[in-house]
Amino acid sequence: MRKTLSAALLAAMAVATPALAEYPEKPIEVIVGYSAGGGTDVMARTVAKFLETALGDGAAVVVKNMPGAGGQIGFTEVANADPDGYTLGTFNLPAALALTNDRNADYDVTSYTYLANFVEDPNTVVVSASSEFQTLDELLAAAKADPGAITLGLSSLGGNDHFSANMIAQASGAEFTLVPFKGASMARTALMGKHVAAGTMTLSQTASFQDELRVLAVLSDERSAFRPDVPTAKELGYDAQMSSLRGIVAPAGLDPEVEAKLEAALSAVNAMEEFQAMMAEQGNPISFVSGDAFEAVAVQQDGVARAIWEETPWK
Amino acid sequence: MYSDLLHALPEVFALTNFLAVIIGVLAGIVVGAMPGLSATMAISVLVPFTFGLEPLVALGLMAGIYNGAMYGGAIPAVLLRIPGTPAAVATTFDGYPMAQKGQGGFALQVAVVSSSIGGIASAFALMLLAPPLSKVTLLFGPAEVFWVAVFGLASIIFLLGGNPVKGLISACFGVFVSVIGSDPIYGNDRFTFGQLELLDGINIVILLVGLYALPPVIDLLETPLKTDSVEGEKLGTEPIWKALPKMKGYWKTWLRGSFIGIWIGILPGAGGSMAAFMSYNEARRSSKKPEDWGQGEPEGVAAAETANNADTASALIPALTLGIPGTAVAAVMLGGLLVHGLQPGPMLFRDNPDVVFGFMWQFLFGAILLVLLGGSLATNSFARLLNLPRPLLGSIIIVLMLIGVYSIHGRMFDVYMMLGFGAVGWVMDKLKFPLPPVVLGLILGAFAEENLRLALRIGRGDWAVLFKNTTSLVLVALTVAVVIGPMLKRRFIDSRKKEGEEA
Repeated sequence: MRKTLSAALLAAMAVATPALAEYPEKPIEVIVGYSAGGGTDVMARTVAKFLETALGDGAAVVVKNMPGAGGQIGFTEVANADPDGYTLGTFNLPAALALTNDRNADYDVTSYTYLANFVEDPNTVVVSASSEFQTLDELLAAAKADPGAITLGLSSLGGNDHFSANMIAQASGAEFTLVPFKGASMARTALMGKHVAAGTMTLSQTASFQDELRVLAVLSDERSAFRPDVPTAKELGYDAQMSSLRGIVAPAGLDPEVEAKLEAALSAVNAMEEFQAMMAEQGNPISFVSGDAFEAVAVQQDGVARAIWEETPWK
Repeated sequence: MYSDLLHALPEVFALTNFLAVIIGVLAGIVVGAMPGLSATMAISVLVPFTFGLEPLVALGLMAGIYNGAMYGGAIPAVLLRIPGTPAAVATTFDGYPMAQKGQGGFALQVAVVSSSIGGIASAFALMLLAPPLSKVTLLFGPAEVFWVAVFGLASIIFLLGGNPVKGLISACFGVFVSVIGSDPIYGNDRFTFGQLELLDGINIVILLVGLYALPPVIDLLETPLKTDSVEGEKLGTEPIWKALPKMKGYWKTWLRGSFIGIWIGILPGAGGSMAAFMSYNEARRSSKKPEDWGQGEPEGVAAAETANNADTASALIPALTLGIPGTAVAAVMLGGLLVHGLQPGPMLFRDNPDVVFGFMWQFLFGAILLVLLGGSLATNSFARLLNLPRPLLGSIIIVLMLIGVYSIHGRMFDVYMMLGFGAVGWVMDKLKFPLPPVVLGLILGAFAEENLRLALRIGRGDWAVLFKNTTSLVLVALTVAVVIGPMLKRRFIDSRKKEGEEA
C-alpha cells in the first residue's frame, strides 16, 4: 500500500520535474533472443536476479524470451523499443551485428545504448584427443599440403566460429573445408566421432570434454585462466582473435541519467561475489566492460564482421 | 558408476522430489491429452520457473511431464483421431478404429500399459547403458544419419496408404514444408517472403495441430446434434486387472517397440513420431494377420505407444553425454539442466552424480507411476470429456489449439499459419489424401537434406563419402532388405500358391 502511494506521489512529482532519479518505477524487461535454457538465457536470468538487488528498492527485472531467426527477432525488438529504460536486451557479439550483413535487418550498430558486457568466451582450434595432430602447426601444415583436405566442423556460418576459421586460414595461408553443423554441440560430436578432422568452438564448449578433445590454440590476447596450458594463436605466430561476447544493451537514445544508473547497477552486479561464483559454475568466463568501452568493442566487432563479409561473403 | 546409482536413490524418495514426479506425470498426461499442448511446450514454459527450484524437484517435474505427455497424447488420438502430441500420430491408426468399435477403453489401457513398459525399458537403458550407448551415437556422422533417414523412409513407405499417388503428393507437401526457412548450410532464405518468423522453418507442432486437429473439430461441429457415438458407456471399459491378461500376447511387440524407441532416441533429430511409425510397421509386418491392421488391432496401439515412450529417457543419453538432444523435448530439458548449472558431458556424471542419477531414477519412477496414475485417470475421467455436447467439446479443443500454438513462440503469426494448415488439412481430408506422409515428409525431409549436404561437404562433393564406412554400408544393406524383402516374399508366396494349384 505504501509502495503504491509513494509511486503515485512520484508520478505526480514527475509532472513537475522529471524525477528520473527514482527510476525504476515499474518492472524492467530483459529481452532474450533465444529460448529459455540456452547460454544467453541463463546469463540473462543470473544478471536479472542480481540486478534486482543492485537497483534495490524492490525493483523487478523480468526476463522475456523472444526466440527466432538466430536471435534477430529479439535484437530487433530491443532496437525498436522505447528508450525509457524499461526494455533492455541481451546482445551477442559478433552474431547480432554480423547478421546485418547477410540479411535485411531493422537495426545496426548505432541502434543501441551499450550498457555492459559480461561474458567473453574465446574461440579455440580443437581436434579429437586421438587425432594425429598434436599442435596447431601440424594441423596447419596438413591443411597447406593438401588445400581443403582438412575438414573443419563449426556451428553455422556468419558467427564467431566461422570468423575464427577465416582468421586462422588468413593468418596462416592454410585452406580448410568448412562444415557448418546445426550448433556447436553437433560439431563437437562429429569431431569426437572423427567425422571431421578439426573444429572451432568456444573454450567453454570444450570444458566438459577435456579427455575427449585436444585444444590446440585459443584465439585470445592472453591464455585463458580456465586452461592455462593451452597456448594462444598469437604466441604460435598467427594473429587471430575471436570470441563470443554476451552483454546487456538498451535501445539508442536512453536518458543519460537512467543510463548512468543502469551502468552503475550492472557494475555493482559484477562486483558481487555470489554473482561471480554463479557465473563460474555455469562455465561463463567473465570479461566486464561497460558504457563507452563496450560500445567501442561493438564498433570494432562490426568492422571485423563487415570486412570478412566483403572479402568472403558466406552466402 | 553403479554404486553412484544406488547412492542417488535416497534423495529421489525425499518427499518434495517424489511429489514432483507425481505432479509431473499428472500434468504431463493432461498436457499431452490436450490437442495443441505438447510436452515440448509444457517443459519450455516450466524451465524459467525452475530457476528457483531445487534441481531434483525441477528435473522430477520434467521427467514426469515427459513420460506423462507421451501417453497423454494417446487419449485424444484414440477417442477423437486427434494426436495429442506429434508422437501419437501412429496411435490413431488402430486406436481410433477401436474406439469406433466400442473398445476405446481397452485401447487406452493398452496404451497406458505399453507406454509404461516402453518408459521403463528406456529408463533402464539410460541408467545402465548411457556411456556405452553414447559411443554408438558417435558412430553416426552426417553420412550415416542420412542413411538412417533413407532407411526410415523405406521402411515406413506403407504410410502412403491405399492410393500411392495421393500418398506421394502428401509426402511431397511435407517435404516442401521442411524446405521453408533458411537452408541448413549457407543460411539462404527459402520461401520465407522476408518474414523473420519463417527463417527457422516451420515448427512441427504448428503443422500437426492445424492438419490433424482442425479437420476433426470441424467434423465435430458439422453435425452438432449427433451424440450417439460419443457416449461414455460405449468405451467398453473394464477394470485394468481384467484387461491385463488380454495383453500378454503383446510381449514381442513390447520388446521390439522398446528396442526401436531406444535406438531412435540415441540418434539426434528423429524423435518419437519416427520411433512410433517404425515400431508400428515392424509389428504389422511380423503379424500373422496384417490385413487387420488399421481396422482396430490393439497390437498396433501397443507398438506405437511402446516406442514413443521408449525414446523418452534414451533421447537423454546423447543429451547428457554429448550435449546433443535426441528429441525436441530432450532439447528443452537440456535447457532445464543448464539453468541449474549442469553442463552436459562426461564430467557431468563425475561432478554431479547425485543429481544426474537421481534424474534417471525419476524417469524410471515416472514410467512406473504412469500405469497407476494414467490407468485410473484416463479411463475414468478423461474419457468422460466425450460426454460433453459436441459444440462445447469442439470449442474447448479450438481454444486449446490456439493457446498451444501461440505459446510456442508467443506470436500470432504461428496461429495464423496453423489455421492455414488446418484449411489445407480439411481439404486433404475431404479429398482423401492421407495425412501421415505429410508429417513424415516434414521430419525426414529436413533430416535427410541437412545430413546429405553435410556429408557431401565433408567428402568435398564426392558421393563416395556416403559408402565409406561399415556403419553406412550396414544401413544401406538394411534399406535394400526392407525394400526388396517384401517383394521377394510376395513372389515366393505366389509361386507356392501356383505350385499348390498345379499339384
